Amino acid sequence: MNDNIIEITGVTKRYRLGKDNYVNALRGADLTVARGEMVALMGPSGSGKSTLMHIAGCLDRADSGEVRLGGRRVDTLRGRELVSVRGREVGFIFQGFNLIPTMTAVENVALAAEYAGVSKRDAIRRATGLLELVGLGDRMRHTPTELSGGQQQRVAIARALVNGPGIVMGDEPTGDLDTATSEEIVGVMRDINTDQGTTFVLVTHNPEVAEACDRTINMRDGVVVDDGMALFTEYRSA
Amino acid sequence: MRILRDIFRRRLRSSLTIFGIAIGVFALVMLGSVAESMNRMVEGGTEYYAEKVMVSDDSGAGSMSVTPMSLSMIERIEEVEGVSRASASLSVLLDDLGAVQMGMPALIIGSDLRDRGFETFPLTLAEGRDLEPGDRRAAVVGADLVTRLEAEVGGEVELRGETFEVVGILGKTLTTPDSTVYVPLADAQDLFAEQLTAPVREALDIRDVATGLVVFHAEDVDSDELAARIEAEVADVRAVGPGAFEEQIGSMMGIFNSVIFGVGMIALVVGGLSVVNTMTMSVAERTREIGVRKAVGGSDGAIMRRFLGESALISTLGGGAGLALGALAIGALDAPGSAMAGTFLLSARLAAGSLAFAVALGVLAGAWPAWHAARLNPVEALRYE
Repeated sequence: MNDNIIEITGVTKRYRLGKDNYVNALRGADLTVARGEMVALMGPSGSGKSTLMHIAGCLDRADSGEVRLGGRRVDTLRGRELVSVRGREVGFIFQGFNLIPTMTAVENVALAAEYAGVSKRDAIRRATGLLELVGLGDRMRHTPTELSGGQQQRVAIARALVNGPGIVMGDEPTGDLDTATSEEIVGVMRDINTDQGTTFVLVTHNPEVAEACDRTINMRDGVVVDDGMALFTEYRSA
Repeated sequence: MRILRDIFRRRLRSSLTIFGIAIGVFALVMLGSVAESMNRMVEGGTEYYAEKVMVSDDSGAGSMSVTPMSLSMIERIEEVEGVSRASASLSVLLDDLGAVQMGMPALIIGSDLRDRGFETFPLTLAEGRDLEPGDRRAAVVGADLVTRLEAEVGGEVELRGETFEVVGILGKTLTTPDSTVYVPLADAQDLFAEQLTAPVREALDIRDVATGLVVFHAEDVDSDELAARIEAEVADVRAVGPGAFEEQIGSMMGIFNSVIFGVGMIALVVGGLSVVNTMTMSVAERTREIGVRKAVGGSDGAIMRRFLGESALISTLGGGAGLALGALAIGALDAPGSAMAGTFLLSARLAAGSLAFAVALGVLAGAWPAWHAARLNPVEALRYE
């Protein structure tokens, strides 16, 4: 069995901004993440880290190159299958939390399960369990505006986990949080990673977040310049 | 429930859109119910005229709207082959013309009662009895006039200034008899005489006057053919069979219906455009939310159903409100005794049709914005500010 949950090779992506104005976001990026790892994806703005994460999570499509999740080619998937991978195998956490404002915490979490075909009752039950896990057992019926930033991000983490995905991807998950809350949230993710073996890929600017991860991958100009493996191998063998 | 919360996230805009649809449906219901009432009256009229020939004077004796004819005409008509019975009637307007009048004017009709036993149109008595030979100053009142005339069996009503005893009240027919008071022929002749100028009155034997004959055919005789035969054999009369009635009224009603429904539809389509506007705005505003829904596994179909559901709900709420408003307004305007009684008819098919049209319009209007929402690229949608 292949123990790499994410294998990306030679991925390119070009965005069209206007007539004859293109941005080469990715120029042949490679990335390998082992099952159960928690990695930070760093690099300056425009280095392509968010694009790489979106492509890895099937939110976006590469122009060329291969993407495998759990050994399965996903860059060639379309339509229903793509939606299914996005919904069941990957969970997303965003900088701006991105909860649906008209729904309560428990409804926000349950929605992702309902989209995956879980009955409403079971979805609510799962959501309740996960909100308790992230420490929001007493905030189930609150809407996002009634929750602090840290609490909202906990709801988002619960939502990302509701379909039991192998991978959770975070796009600047602590970007809108103060230092103390940021530490809390990283702690919650770390605990889940340790307890449940969920793989985390976190796009971040924050060195403290990177420090909490197993390994840091650095990107520049659309390619991975340092996959942090040298240090990681060193750390593991130590 | 969630869908309601989403709609009322923009309370003012959604309410205005629902209001717009409601006005459209209200207009369609009001106008449509006028058309339905007219249609019903015409249907009733068609039924009423189906088995008879109406004979009136055609001697060109005057430009009066109702030309008197002699009762002696009965014998001459009954001699025509295929005629089983001719009955004289005399119509007088209940009110003077000039008053604002919707629909058919109310009539006082005097009858010689020779039609009894031949009439096939189902005219039922709600209360009391029919007119009988020998009655004088007796009246049978049509359903829509009961409240206006304050008629009750055994009581008195005033018709053109004269007092009559109410002997019967008719059941509702939804056509002409509803706005008619039936009296003995002699009484109608008296009322008629009062409207004539003195010289005319003196020249006329008022007991010999009718304004029309209702002619019943013998078995196996076609009414229209009989009408043609009467005109050919009897001079100075105009005989009208059911065919002529349908021809005249039918084409008139066709135009009337298209105009009325056309106006109603325009009102609704304007409402529909506001649904397009509202939903387009809603999709644009919630672009980021759509991105989130897609990122957590929402399929294109699920997103599309969501927005279609919202527009369908908006138009259903609007349609329901418009229909309820229309029903209330019609209830008030159509109250017994009101000048507009009998003008509106909110039929089941009109109610169901208006509502169905509103819902269909909402779904149609929501289709493009919903499709647009479903097709959004999740990454671009997530980046949207």
